[in-house]
Amino acid sequence: MFRYVARRLLHLIPVLLGISFLVFLLVHLVPGDPVRVMLADAGSPEQVERMRRQLGLDRPIYVQYASFVVRAAQGDFGRSIHTRRPVAQEIAFRIPYTVHMAVAATLVAVAMGVVLGAIAAMHHQSALDYGTMVVALAGVSLPNFWLGLVLILVFSLHLRWLPPAGADSLAHLILPAITLGTSSSAIIARLTRSSMLEVLRQDYIRTARAKGVGPRRLVYRHALKNAMIPVVSIVGMQFASLLGGAVIVETVFGWPGIGRLAVDAIFTRDIPVIQAVVLVAAVIFVFMNLLVDLLYGLLDPRIRYG
Amino acid sequence: MTRWNALPVLLVVVVLLAITAGSGGAAPAPARGGTLTMVIGSDPPSLDPHRTPSVNIAHAVMYETLVTVDRRTGEFIPGLAESWEISQDGTAITFKLKRGVKFHDGTPFNAAAVKTTFDRLVSKETNAPGASWVGTLTRTDVVDDLTVRLVFSKPYAPIFSSLRISFLAILSPTAIAKMGADYGQNPVGTGPFRFKQWIPNDRIVYERNPDYAWGPAHYKNRGAPNFDQLIIRIVPDESTRVIAFERGDIDILPGAPARDARRMMRDGKFPFIQIPTTSGTYLGLNVKKPPINDVRVRRAIGHATNTDEVARIALEGLAVPMLSPIAPTIWGYWDGVKQFALNHDPDRARALLAEAGYRPGPGGAMMKDGRPLEFTVWTYARMTNVRVAVVLQSQLRTAGIKLNIEQMEPATLLASTQRGEHDAILISYGWPDADILYYFFHSSRLATTNRVHYVNTQVDKLLEDGQTTVDTAKRLEVYKQLQRILLAEVPWVPLASELSVNFNQPYVQDIYYDKFGNLLLLDAYRTR
Repeated sequence: MFRYVARRLLHLIPVLLGISFLVFLLVHLVPGDPVRVMLADAGSPEQVERMRRQLGLDRPIYVQYASFVVRAAQGDFGRSIHTRRPVAQEIAFRIPYTVHMAVAATLVAVAMGVVLGAIAAMHHQSALDYGTMVVALAGVSLPNFWLGLVLILVFSLHLRWLPPAGADSLAHLILPAITLGTSSSAIIARLTRSSMLEVLRQDYIRTARAKGVGPRRLVYRHALKNAMIPVVSIVGMQFASLLGGAVIVETVFGWPGIGRLAVDAIFTRDIPVIQAVVLVAAVIFVFMNLLVDLLYGLLDPRIRYG
Repeated sequence: MTRWNALPVLLVVVVLLAITAGSGGAAPAPARGGTLTMVIGSDPPSLDPHRTPSVNIAHAVMYETLVTVDRRTGEFIPGLAESWEISQDGTAITFKLKRGVKFHDGTPFNAAAVKTTFDRLVSKETNAPGASWVGTLTRTDVVDDLTVRLVFSKPYAPIFSSLRISFLAILSPTAIAKMGADYGQNPVGTGPFRFKQWIPNDRIVYERNPDYAWGPAHYKNRGAPNFDQLIIRIVPDESTRVIAFERGDIDILPGAPARDARRMMRDGKFPFIQIPTTSGTYLGLNVKKPPINDVRVRRAIGHATNTDEVARIALEGLAVPMLSPIAPTIWGYWDGVKQFALNHDPDRARALLAEAGYRPGPGGAMMKDGRPLEFTVWTYARMTNVRVAVVLQSQLRTAGIKLNIEQMEPATLLASTQRGEHDAILISYGWPDADILYYFFHSSRLATTNRVHYVNTQVDKLLEDGQTTVDTAKRLEVYKQLQRILLAEVPWVPLASELSVNFNQPYVQDIYYDKFGNLLLLDAYRTR
């Protein structure tokens, strides 16, 4: 197990190098110059050149990349071109906000998804089954920004229950978490349903039922746990992809997380920040995958790590 | 003393449509205390004016400048300077500074502070985005403790327009020495509010500066502000901003989006004020690119354009049509420009195109050498710009000109237009002085802000004169001439200047804005 984890972590290195190089290349290929953005057009050509030199942007791309890798390996991501704050500080400040949001959204997604999926499976091919699946389909199809605005209109403006923007309290977390969690919950609901249906057809369920286990106990003690194995993997993936959805949700709800940082950095061509945000996202993604693989073993003792 | 400090203000139309303060009977004495919350769309990159490409209210409440603008007359009035005198040849301005002013960190404000600030602003090492605002400034001399002299290599007429902007705010020399590049995270000014906390992308918090006692003369209250605390919330989404305001989470909503502004103005639940801005939206035509390298085609485009319609339909009536490249609120705008304006005249447009060799073809398109008259405009993917472009597209179609619209993200648009790959751009500027024309039309700005790739030696000369002519009347003549030439050559089709609609909660009283749309807070107070 330890060797397995160590090997997985070693695999991380080439993955991160590859990702960082691709991003580096992309940022340089896209038109738009951070120095021009920074100088807001008013700068003279000499001033532009001077700033480019100060920022090391006049050097060849491969030199810039090499120096980035060397410094990043030492935990130094440089300073943001736009705000001149240390990039590590910019990111460290925002990570907790985004993690809070992602955790809350995952809780929403799992709670809604598993309940809806289990209900649908237990009432297979009934109106309840179709009804919940239509709701799930709608959940995936609704764009985040639209759902977010509707929730704000209803719960902030009309009912006045919850604040529309900001990050002061738990109350500020509710609407963005529901918005972000809804699309994932739909996917989880569908998966829970099919996985449950699969499990309910298994012999051991039939045996349990024959032995007189009540339907409630049957579902909660016997079926649900085994049905959760594929669901866990999708939850892990969803958690990571929530970081992507956070870009829009954080903008709509004025949430100061890493998604907004990424958007701002892209608009200002703030290369050091874009780099670092993408690397952080990649690390989270890879770690979530690892965590999911390890959780498998807990849920299903037949799985071994070699 | 010359007339510089009394630059005439042209066409200042501040329409006060609804202000509840003091109406009917004696107004109660302003209440002290409480928090005032306002909202903006994005964080300033830095609170250090020397390290940010733009300054806004977040800087203005905390920093102060040597001169400021009277909210009623628009004239330059003392800020941190008590008075000023300009040398005969216009290359030196001597400022007498206010006595007893202190920075938030306790450092006394004096000539040395002004010198340290300006030296830092123009130093190559700082490479400040705002350095261009001081023009030809060569050095800053300390005459005595409360007298400071700015020395220019040649007269720089727009300097007073610059001097009131936070880019040229005076910083604490103690803090500069201590903080260096981190000044923006620990900003120290002389203003009515002092910095308390900044949660990036969420809020900037300020508290009352209790020592403040040097407010400009256009305030009733020249001492510390009434509020204990000022919060500037950062909410990027327009709709969320409006909802947060309507719920009462926010006290002041500046620059409401047009669609919501119209609705809220009708509802009448919140006091509001419409303020002309110093911004202008224009169609910039790349004079090097066929088919619009032909001046007759450019004039035809101008006459095919209906700016009234652009302001009324595309901008929801929250804009004034622009007749000149200089917006009506900007110093240097000339009312006589009307007789030279590219007024809406489709017949004239068609006649000009005929003169240029175009004949009507199938579907009413104007054709020459078997090709229809067609060009592409690049614009920001911003709602208002796109709507203006669409209205323009339909107007040009009636004159037989096909306009294609391409939307881009700002950094891409700027980079691509500098290389001259475009036919035309639809974009806005904001500037307080007619000297903007220098940035957009001088040949030295070709690869940067001169996006229409316009070169005209006569215009170059006039633009240089505009910067160095100290006599106000003579300087105005220069810009009159420039406006005439630019309307004849049509590198730009001026479109409209937007109005800002600013709302506030009814329980916030005595909120003022100056003619540039800057919020003035010293007299403001809450009734609950």
